[in-house]
Amino acid sequence: MHSPSITPVATTSSVAGPPPASRRLPSVEAESRLLFGLRARLALAALKTMLTQARLRLTLVILLSALFWGSLYGLFYEGFAFLNSLHAEIISLLFNGFFSSLLLMLVFSNAILMYSGLYCSPEARLLITLPARPEAVFFHKFQESFWFSSWGFILLGSPMLVAYGVVRNAPWTYFLLLLPFMVAFVVIPATLGGMLCMATVACVPRLRMHALAIAITASTAGAIWLGWSALASARADSLSPIWFEQTMSRLAITEQKFFPSWWLASGLIESASGKTALEGESGAVMESLRFLALLASNGLMLQLLAGWLAARIYRLGFSQLSAEVTARRPLRISWFDRMLTQAGTAAGRPLRILIVKDLRLFRRDIAQWSQFVIFFGLLGLYFLNIRSFTYNNSYATMIGFLNLAVVGLILSTFTTRFVFPMISLEGRRFWILNLLPVHRDQIVWSKFLFSCVGGTLPCCGLVLLSDMMLGIRWPVVAIHEICCLMLCMGLSGIAVGLGALLPDLREASPSKIASGFGGTLALVLSSLFIMAVVLLAALPTHLYLAGLGADAEGTRRPDLVGWAGSLEGVWAGVAAVVVLGTVATLLPLFLGLRHFRQLEA
Amino acid sequence: MIEFAEVTRTYGPKTAVSGLSLAIPKGELFALLGPNGAGKTTTIKMLVGLLRPSQGAVRVCGFDMVKDPRNAHLHIGYVPDDPNLYDKLTGREFLWFIAEMFGMQQQHAMQRIGEVIDNFELADFADDLTESYSLGMKQRLVFASSLLHDPDVLVLDEPMVGLDPRSVRIVKDLLRKLTHQGMTVFMSTHTLAMAEEMADRVGIMVRGQLRFLGTVEELRQQMDKQATNLEQLYLELTAPQAMATGPILSPARPDAP
Repeated sequence: MHSPSITPVATTSSVAGPPPASRRLPSVEAESRLLFGLRARLALAALKTMLTQARLRLTLVILLSALFWGSLYGLFYEGFAFLNSLHAEIISLLFNGFFSSLLLMLVFSNAILMYSGLYCSPEARLLITLPARPEAVFFHKFQESFWFSSWGFILLGSPMLVAYGVVRNAPWTYFLLLLPFMVAFVVIPATLGGMLCMATVACVPRLRMHALAIAITASTAGAIWLGWSALASARADSLSPIWFEQTMSRLAITEQKFFPSWWLASGLIESASGKTALEGESGAVMESLRFLALLASNGLMLQLLAGWLAARIYRLGFSQLSAEVTARRPLRISWFDRMLTQAGTAAGRPLRILIVKDLRLFRRDIAQWSQFVIFFGLLGLYFLNIRSFTYNNSYATMIGFLNLAVVGLILSTFTTRFVFPMISLEGRRFWILNLLPVHRDQIVWSKFLFSCVGGTLPCCGLVLLSDMMLGIRWPVVAIHEICCLMLCMGLSGIAVGLGALLPDLREASPSKIASGFGGTLALVLSSLFIMAVVLLAALPTHLYLAGLGADAEGTRRPDLVGWAGSLEGVWAGVAAVVVLGTVATLLPLFLGLRHFRQLEA
Repeated sequence: MIEFAEVTRTYGPKTAVSGLSLAIPKGELFALLGPNGAGKTTTIKMLVGLLRPSQGAVRVCGFDMVKDPRNAHLHIGYVPDDPNLYDKLTGREFLWFIAEMFGMQQQHAMQRIGEVIDNFELADFADDLTESYSLGMKQRLVFASSLLHDPDVLVLDEPMVGLDPRSVRIVKDLLRKLTHQGMTVFMSTHTLAMAEEMADRVGIMVRGQLRFLGTVEELRQQMDKQATNLEQLYLELTAPQAMATGPILSPARPDAP
């Protein structure tokens, strides 16, 4: 080693000299090709892994997507067939309303996706330390968020647009242009979302949380206003011509010619019409292509702007964000945590401490509670709107059961996404738990109680709200509440039990744990469980209330339908739900506990 | 090769690095030491472009890290404390990706990839997906990738974490060889024995300020403790009472830019 020196170095670039010929910064094109090649290699490797290790998940995703697509197509086909007889302007209003809402949603969802991709991902931390152009990093991460947006939009929008084309008997060019139209449209909100994200992070880092709070408040206020306006306008005159006209006039605000949603709606309607008054079919295609060109050119222009912006502010924003000061949390125990810890016997104290710990983690994880609030909040808004319509008793009861199923399905997504990985994540901290005087069973039971109690309170509340709005009689309300309680217990039992039975102790990401084999199995079993619970209770109740179990004289039919439609049948259904709920709760928990006791981390 | 010119970095009201002036010449192995929260990681982040200084400038081979980050990066190899790899790429694919990002020509890249695979003994697992690697294997791969493009400056953040004794020996030998060949190494570490063994100079940061800059021998002289090792000197210099009562040494000699 040479002798140390503290002589300052020269500050001119001459000390470095030009890089050797074998090492020159890649051109823009070479860099783009390289990053695109990387994306392709990663996608191929992920696909290969999925085909070999996650066939169940892949099959499930394809089947459920096909089912979802087919159901939506059927729904839209019937809707358009009904509307086809009405004035064509209605379609334009509906399309504009739908696409403009989607435009706004895509801007915000892409901003959030880009935030995590550009600023929080390990890949971004790697790329920013390499001689990569910031705009190249932006476009590389943009591909991810664009793919997610396109996938959702195509799955949701394509059945609607295909159904529209079929009902309108559109020419083949309409179907050919569908995909380019959708892709060209998504580029615009996706790019705007990316730009919004970079500008927010770079320019208002200190105000970011305030900006977020304002955006959430404004969105919530908007949703409440929309819900309120719908409630206020639709009391006794639901589905009347006046109500219809009022609704259409409210939607007219979305028909703005400078909105990309209008370009998309107009281009598609033009294309589906097959002809214009003056020029015939080819004229319609040309007109449609003009709208497509308008979308594509604006999308490309925005891409150029986004690249220009990324070159200037991406690195600055990354640095600003890295310098963010995390708020200090002085030890303050909330009254609820203190109450929960101290209440009950000394023997149960470790269990309660574990629950308080999970509760604290939940409160501090924005991803968890924000999704919880958004989904259950939207459901609450929907339930509040139910009373706009009037139903007969049997119909209302059925809607009540469907609402129960929806509540169960939403809860199952939470138990699979957030509760199932809890044991796996705890496994990574096994050394802490192993050293504590806590029995392993208590860890599993604490997760179950946390999930079960945390799910029961909002779910039973929502089901009660739905039943009250529907004016359902109290015995049926009681049946709904029993079913809801069983759903909460069973779904928690499945998620926690399978989480302990099939833990993934190596994985740190909860989303990856949830999307593995165990998580997929939990989701499938949860869905089957919900269907079984709802059917077991709903069928006899419906038969009983509709009087289908009795003949014209009011005497019970001698067959199975007669028995199922009797009061005994209803109680038998409820009893079956309780038995099924108990089994779904205890069996996975038993298997999970047995495996977890012997687990070696 | 590396120059910090009056660099200050604040996190809100807190100053993580305060008025850091430091110049590290070609071929020197410099070890930055200090207790947790002293500002070492912030310094490294500014050096590799993850953070921008609130004041002052960081230059690598004369290229300003804020004004010309791409050219600065071209001269840097960086080994973070937490290796970031693509789970679904093999080690060899990762090396190719890095080589191409640095604009290496294919023939040269192939030759260098072969060399680093041999040097870091990666051959057994170079064609496996990196998701199956242990921490030590990942660290060796990141080391290999950081040296692929023959950087003028190698920045190491806790380089020995996760490495087994054999890999530690490989890295030490390699660092000696590379500094002899003219590479500048900037290393942040808590492994004082390694710093004492390897470093030409050490810098000791306390609460964002460079409390000492020089050789271990100079530190001994200033503290008047000839027969003491670096660990003992470091512990005395960074003891809470020493930190509270101000510098016990004459201030570190800043390397004026």
